[in-house]
Amino acid sequence: MGRPDNENGEVLLRVENLCQYFKSGSYENKAVDNVSFDIKKGEVFGLVGESGCGKTTTGRSIIKIYDITSGSIYFKGQRICAGTRSYRDAIKAAKKELSELKGGNEARRKELEAEIEKNKEEIKKAKFDHKNSDKLYAAEQVKKVKAEYEPKLEKATGEEKAKLQKEYKDALRVAKNTRLITQIQMIFQDPIASLNPRMTVREIISEGMVINGIRDKEYIDKKVYDILETVGLVREHAGRYPHEFSGGQRQRIGIARSVVMEPELLIADEPVSALDVSIQAQVINLLNDLRDQLGLTILFIAHDLSVVKYFSDRIGVMYYGNMVELATSEELFRHPIHPYTRSLLSAIPLPDPRSEKKRVRITYNALAAHDYSVDKPSLREIIPGHFVHCNDAEEAAYRKEFNL
Amino acid sequence: MANKDTILQVKNLKVSFRTTGGTVKAVRDVSFDLERGKTLAIVGESGSGKSVTSKAILGILAGNSIIEGGEILYDGRDLLKITEEEMCDIRGNRISMIFQDPLSSLNPIVKIGRQITEAMLLKDKGNRRAARKDFNTMLAEIRTNCTAALGQGEAARVAEMTKTFDDFNIEGIKMENSYNTARAASEGFLADAEDFLFLAEKKQRLDVKANLATMEGKLKQVKDEFFTHGYDDKLWAAYSALKSAASGAKAVKEGEMVPENIRKAVSDAEALVKELQGRTVPDFFRIGYYKMKNPGADLHSQSVEELNASCLTYLDDNFMKEFLAMEEKGTRYSFDTALEKKKKVVESLKAARPFFESAELTRSSGKKRAGELAKEVEGSIDRLEIRKDSMAYTFGFAMNDAIDRYFNAEKKNPKEEARFARQSAKREALIARGKTVDWKVVPKLVYDLDELKANITGTIDAMVAHYEDYIAKADTVDFSARSVELVDYLKERASQVVYKVTRSMAHEKAIQLMEEVGIPEPRIRYNQYPFEFSGGMRQRIVIAIALAANPDILICDEPTTALDVTIQAQILELINKLKAERNLSVIFITHDLGVVANMADEIAVMYAGKLVEYGTADEVFYDPRHPYTWALLASMPDLDTTEKLDAIPGTPPNMIYPPKGDAFAARNKYAMQIDFEEQPPEFAVSDTHWAATWLLHPNAPKVEPPKIITDRIARMLKKSGGEA
Repeated sequence: MGRPDNENGEVLLRVENLCQYFKSGSYENKAVDNVSFDIKKGEVFGLVGESGCGKTTTGRSIIKIYDITSGSIYFKGQRICAGTRSYRDAIKAAKKELSELKGGNEARRKELEAEIEKNKEEIKKAKFDHKNSDKLYAAEQVKKVKAEYEPKLEKATGEEKAKLQKEYKDALRVAKNTRLITQIQMIFQDPIASLNPRMTVREIISEGMVINGIRDKEYIDKKVYDILETVGLVREHAGRYPHEFSGGQRQRIGIARSVVMEPELLIADEPVSALDVSIQAQVINLLNDLRDQLGLTILFIAHDLSVVKYFSDRIGVMYYGNMVELATSEELFRHPIHPYTRSLLSAIPLPDPRSEKKRVRITYNALAAHDYSVDKPSLREIIPGHFVHCNDAEEAAYRKEFNL
Repeated sequence: MANKDTILQVKNLKVSFRTTGGTVKAVRDVSFDLERGKTLAIVGESGSGKSVTSKAILGILAGNSIIEGGEILYDGRDLLKITEEEMCDIRGNRISMIFQDPLSSLNPIVKIGRQITEAMLLKDKGNRRAARKDFNTMLAEIRTNCTAALGQGEAARVAEMTKTFDDFNIEGIKMENSYNTARAASEGFLADAEDFLFLAEKKQRLDVKANLATMEGKLKQVKDEFFTHGYDDKLWAAYSALKSAASGAKAVKEGEMVPENIRKAVSDAEALVKELQGRTVPDFFRIGYYKMKNPGADLHSQSVEELNASCLTYLDDNFMKEFLAMEEKGTRYSFDTALEKKKKVVESLKAARPFFESAELTRSSGKKRAGELAKEVEGSIDRLEIRKDSMAYTFGFAMNDAIDRYFNAEKKNPKEEARFARQSAKREALIARGKTVDWKVVPKLVYDLDELKANITGTIDAMVAHYEDYIAKADTVDFSARSVELVDYLKERASQVVYKVTRSMAHEKAIQLMEEVGIPEPRIRYNQYPFEFSGGMRQRIVIAIALAANPDILICDEPTTALDVTIQAQILELINKLKAERNLSVIFITHDLGVVANMADEIAVMYAGKLVEYGTADEVFYDPRHPYTWALLASMPDLDTTEKLDAIPGTPPNMIYPPKGDAFAARNKYAMQIDFEEQPPEFAVSDTHWAATWLLHPNAPKVEPPKIITDRIARMLKKSGGEA
């Protein structure tokens, strides 16, 4: 498979200090806590972890299904999501210190006031970006269209001009409706629940285009038929309803729906977990083909490690809202460093009865394995390209293990 | 196979479903044996009939199902033919099931704790009644057999001895009953105390006074001649301490600490009760005899251990040895007479066989003859055998069924032919008139009469073979071991009669189970609703419920498909552990071959309602023979896979119109012409391994499995250092 060179690849998606908290009664549930990673163009980034560790929440935050609590997400260099919690906390801390200062130390007071101002500014910016990223992108697109058509229109005359004008109008409408976020698409886990039972396959697949302002019926039909054939279905399926399909075919419809928007980034949230083995293989092969054909970048969320290993270039391991280890897939399976990763790898079932009988599962207890009472942990690079969530003492121990 | 300890037998099971589109043949002729303490894995895609098979065992098939034939033998009964009342006795109690989807198998509006204890409390009364009935019938059988063995002269002695046995058992049961009541109360107290202390430690909201009052009430009931012997004063002191602590108690809010003196009183009482529970349990069975013979003797002059020991010798010397000797004669007699009868039965079965083959067989004459035979077979059953001979018990049913099926088919076939001819003619006439016809003629459903007739004689043949095997093994029976086993069985039944499950005991057991399946903080979780649990936790609760009634057979229907690896591994380990501890037999249904590698002793691969390959785990994984097994293995990546996966093309066939030949032929790249024309028989690879594929026919071309599999097997074998 022609996998692109990831070393120098252009960063498509950057997630910085992403926090996603949910209010649950009187306390806050930290579903995702301070997660950072990059996805390079053309690669498959796998996200694994047990259920409830926040991998799906991360995916959903990226596509703006939730408003994130803190941190930023950059897509193609444009900040698409931003949270304000970290700035608010900084302001709070500064104000508290300010109230405790009580006269004297004028320099420090100035410093703190400046910091508060700075953070307030940041909050404004974050709010603006979070709200207007799509508008900014649309304005850019409109500018591009104008730049493309206006000189042409000036030159053209007569019938040609009328035709061009119509084209220009259509293009302008599409450009106005374009949103940056549509370039990120998602495939959902459950192919039954994620398709509207009252819409035909054609309606399901074309819905995104219709929302984007495309009105050309012929064009839409052509796109729908093309994409159906790409994902291994046939034209005739366009008029049917989801219940007439098997599980694997339904998942193909879900894939078609997201790929038809020509996204650059595809978030595949456990696309094969709900499927039979044989159909799993079909869907994985399909995703692999699509990736080669369309040059997709994929964020692959799954809990089946064999599949993730097979499919991904780099893998991030999550545990209770934290990214605990991040490395290329070969490296991760060869040298797992974090104890949680080790426990995860030791739990993979293999179709080999003899070695299975000998397999010893390593148990992981976060409280017993780490002492973070004094020394706080963070994600650190142990071997080039291999990041582990650890504190100073652990970092030294890990380095010693690999004789670095 | 008589040398296997088979607990469940499925024979020629056929199940179909009536739907608007036609009859879906979900299970077509499936047979397998499940051995005690072993795991059988059934592997296949969805829609291959795995779940239907398991649901048929539990009798929970959907309303539109038709059981077209076959038998499921368990404990002397055919589960397909017993009444719903009898099934209730077995379902959940002896055979229980873990369902695939934990969300839909839990009741959303009932708390978890109640759902776990429900089965224990519901089944309790019925269990005790059944145990008493079993005890009485078995003892009566012993009496008649011993009398017959020793002659009428000894009848009085036999009657007296069995009466003594019953009497001193009752004496023991009485004491045990009182002991158990006190113990149950102590367990109830412990449960409450632990809850109280746990919540107090977590600084939760607590109504201290009400809690202490219930604890006092329970502690007061902890009173028994044996259980609290020598501890009465200490218990009274603990009780008074609780009472005085309660007098000044107030309710505490969340975040507040329960006063120190109250916590101390509760934990002291808890320690005391734990100490009581840790003491040796008296051997009531033997003490009962001692007490009956020496009424008024002081049982407490010696420690419980000494009492147990002295009563053991006392009972052995005065009664048990004689009783066992007598019983041995009884079992020998019973066995011998049954053996003689069996020999006769074999003769008469053989004699009757031509009649069932002949053309003069009619429904009424056949049934009459079958009834006579069944009576004879039933008469030849050794009633003193603890493990019931399922085949003999269900022989009558099986014969009746086979005869009915034959004559029903004989009656229906011409009608079906006529219908088909009529409809086809109509359709053709319409087409001839140039109309478009948008309906199909439902294919004719004609039974093969020869096959059905062979079924009748087959039932007889199987019975003959079974009895001949039995007769051949007759010399190897150890009667003294058998009589000891019998006494153990009676003792176990007797103790079941008194084992009463109270609400608090069930609570404690539920918490223990929740801990066992790995649910943290079970005491808080006990009072939560299913929606408050994550998927993995829900599945654990479903497992706890399945294990609550202590079943013999556990059916796991894709228990880990919805879970992630770590929890999957934990749950598989849990099932393996429980299997070893309780000698459970497990039927494990899955589509993931990786999962069963560690679990299964034997693997059955199922496709389109039929078993296509069957063998031990090693054989199926290291030497797969059926193309479908290859396809299943090839379509899953392992950690070393880099090449493109071999996906199975297409989907399983529509089972309304099952394919004529090998069902897998249409998706099989190794398919030959014959695969589309005729169903392959089971070709044996080894004694324990067979596969139904024409590729194993001696005339078939040699075909190698796909490279991805041969490579993987070579790699695995290299790793484990063994050869195929």
